[in-house]
Amino acid sequence: MQFIKSAIEGLYGLIEKNKYLNKLKPVLLATDEFFFGTDKVTTLPHIVGYIDIKRFMSFVIVGLIPATLAAIYFWGLRVIAIIMVSYIFGGLVEVAFAITRKKEIHEGFLVTGLIFPLILPPGVPLWVVAVGIIFGVIFGKEAFGGTGRNIFNPAIVGRIFLTIAFPNIMTVHWQQPFMGGWGGFLHYQNSIDAITTATPLALFKNQGIVTSSMALLLGQSAGCIGETFRIGIIAGGLFLILTKIVDWRLPFAYLGTVIVFPFLSNHLLHTHFALGPFQMLTGGLLLGAFFMATDPVTSPFTKPGRWIAGILLGVLTILIRGLSGYAEGVMFSILLVNVFTPLIDTIVLKVRYKKT
Amino acid sequence: MLKTLRTFKGGYRFENYSGQPSPTVVDNPIPSQVIIPLKQGFSTEVKPLVKKGTVVFAGQIIAKDEKSISSPVHASVNGVVEDIRRINYFKREITMVVIRTNNDSREIPRLPGHTSEWGKLTNENIEELIYLSGVSSLDREGIPTRFKSSIISPEDVKHLIIHGVGSEPYNISLDLLLEGKNFLHFFEGVKILKRIMPNCKVHLAINAHKRKIIEQLVKLSSELEWLDVYPLEPKYPQGYDEMLVPTILNQKFPYGYSAANIGVVVLNIQAVLGVYEAVVEGKPFIERIIALCGTSLKENIHVKVRVGTLLSEIIPPRLKTDQQPTRVVLNSLLTGFELNDLNLPIDRTFSQIIAIPENKTREFLSFLKLGRRRDSYSRTFLAKLLPTVKKLVDTNQHGEERPCISCSYCEEVCPVRIIPHLLSKYVKRGLIDETLMNYDIFNCIECGLCSFVCPSKIPLLKHMKEGHEKLIMQGCDRTQCILPYFNLKGIEEYRGVTKL
Repeated sequence: MQFIKSAIEGLYGLIEKNKYLNKLKPVLLATDEFFFGTDKVTTLPHIVGYIDIKRFMSFVIVGLIPATLAAIYFWGLRVIAIIMVSYIFGGLVEVAFAITRKKEIHEGFLVTGLIFPLILPPGVPLWVVAVGIIFGVIFGKEAFGGTGRNIFNPAIVGRIFLTIAFPNIMTVHWQQPFMGGWGGFLHYQNSIDAITTATPLALFKNQGIVTSSMALLLGQSAGCIGETFRIGIIAGGLFLILTKIVDWRLPFAYLGTVIVFPFLSNHLLHTHFALGPFQMLTGGLLLGAFFMATDPVTSPFTKPGRWIAGILLGVLTILIRGLSGYAEGVMFSILLVNVFTPLIDTIVLKVRYKKT
Repeated sequence: MLKTLRTFKGGYRFENYSGQPSPTVVDNPIPSQVIIPLKQGFSTEVKPLVKKGTVVFAGQIIAKDEKSISSPVHASVNGVVEDIRRINYFKREITMVVIRTNNDSREIPRLPGHTSEWGKLTNENIEELIYLSGVSSLDREGIPTRFKSSIISPEDVKHLIIHGVGSEPYNISLDLLLEGKNFLHFFEGVKILKRIMPNCKVHLAINAHKRKIIEQLVKLSSELEWLDVYPLEPKYPQGYDEMLVPTILNQKFPYGYSAANIGVVVLNIQAVLGVYEAVVEGKPFIERIIALCGTSLKENIHVKVRVGTLLSEIIPPRLKTDQQPTRVVLNSLLTGFELNDLNLPIDRTFSQIIAIPENKTREFLSFLKLGRRRDSYSRTFLAKLLPTVKKLVDTNQHGEERPCISCSYCEEVCPVRIIPHLLSKYVKRGLIDETLMNYDIFNCIECGLCSFVCPSKIPLLKHMKEGHEKLIMQGCDRTQCILPYFNLKGIEEYRGVTKL
């Protein structure tokens, strides 16, 4: 602790002297604040709650830990490399914008940098990860003015950009997960050409095969890096709801719709629409519902708005999965609903503050 | 009659803060000098009746004004008027009378006409006693009497709410105020008030956790059909008039006006005890029980002090001597004034003085700490799971200011159902127009909860006030949000008196 303190003080002295290094001050300030917090005192009210954005964001990361650890187990140590690439390149973009804007660095990036790798396929080349996160952070967040002003979830913007730009890499090759023993903890990755398989959603779409729920819950199926260990995701999501970081309404409405709505569509077109429980346990739905659709900045802030957004998400996801050429619809539906978020809020507010 | 437990939507429970005052009371010695403000509580400033050099006795009326809405002010010690000067008292210039004590006897001469058989007195006599004792200026709208001590007349009062909810982080002890004989005195006081306000229903709102007090009250009140007892959850800001009226009467509150405008008088327990003492014992209201709270004090007790005693005689001798900087706050940690100048006197309205550490130290990786004794609205600290552990407070901001992420914590706690983060964005960008009014910015009661819960540390309360001021500067009339929906009484008089 004393060591870090003196190191930071030394660096302050160093960058004060040099005109060019001085531009890096936001980085140093952020490090300083990260380690030592603030010495500011309140005005009115005289006391404020102990929670701050750093703690808020670190709780989301804690919620993602089970899924991340499981990801390393299933896909090998390469996952760590992917996460590192995502943090480094995304962080560089963040720092670059903070320096040009002469503003402080915000903590929201810590979550984006972890969620983004979790929604990529395990075989993704590292350079694609870098391209994706750079695009996502620039066009998903910084283009709109940084944290708190973005319309889209940056991780999803990056992921969709990759899906459209590199469809071959992003949608065709799916690895078989490691299973048994130490799994991926002792391997870098599963050999790429050895085993490729299809995701449970693609299996249903193309061949009508329904994977068992147990396999889906425990992660013994192909899929994106962080989306397959669904028990861990559910646990992490419930943890966030219990700590009041995430409002329960949106995930509840989303998952509820995903369970109920397919019963209707399954009656009409049972070759296109799988049943609710299977829909809920496949693809990135749980990860999306608990960790991405609930991003406070891009989801509606009014309570009725959260219900509406959840239901809309559910319907869109099922429709895209059933009727479009894509097997998975969670990303697109979240992006679409992000577009509608301001509109939903405006309508809810209009109704609520209607003066007679 | 006992009513069921009630509460309101939003709000926050400040539980189990370390440094709550214990139910003991100590008499503070008679000070050698007092400074008496000529505006205390709900009252306009009154004209002094004494001059420099006048000899006064404790309880003598030294200032009075029969024309304006006011209550008399008394000398609180025996002595000589040393000076009459204007002093800045909580952002307002107020004339003050400085009295040098020459006889420190505790005796207080009684008001003429008081009697323990108050039933035999006429209403006018009772009201005169209440008015002359100065009790009538307590609380937000005073106690109505025919002597212009409040904005409405006693006959117009439809509801009288007496509350001891204690929803602040630190509260004066209810057990102390109502212990022993005081309990019966309190009940007599209620009866006296009912007598002078014959058309009112009386509602006693008591902290739901004080079961014993509620039981006792129910026993005494079972035969009285004009009296109801309400156990209320001690959720901040339940003690505000704006929250008591909707929870108890299921009635909308005219935000920005006083409860008296809709025929409701809200009093706290010390005021009712003061009424009893004025009418039955003839005691002028020159003494007050003040709770000394917070971890920076050596002991957390109550003191009985004379009005006009300087803060420097109460606080500094009781502070811990470990050289830590301390912040001293009046009445409420969320909305109270900071008491920087300890040469100011106390007046009738003081009920808590809170001293907490001024924490400017930076803490290593504070956002990763478990937080066994740290209170927060979200459940991200261990303290939320350990309700029996005493929580610590200090004035550190616990984090840097960040952009709003619309987590809507502020909206969830807001007791008046407005959306602080949305309004704050409008105010910050300078978009001051009818939209703000449409989103009910004038309903804000400035309780400060939004700023308390904000994880981005945005000064929402400040933005709200700024929004108010700018709207009014642009010529927006806040009355148009309220007047069309309410039938308000005494409104002309109220406008003359600035908001307390």
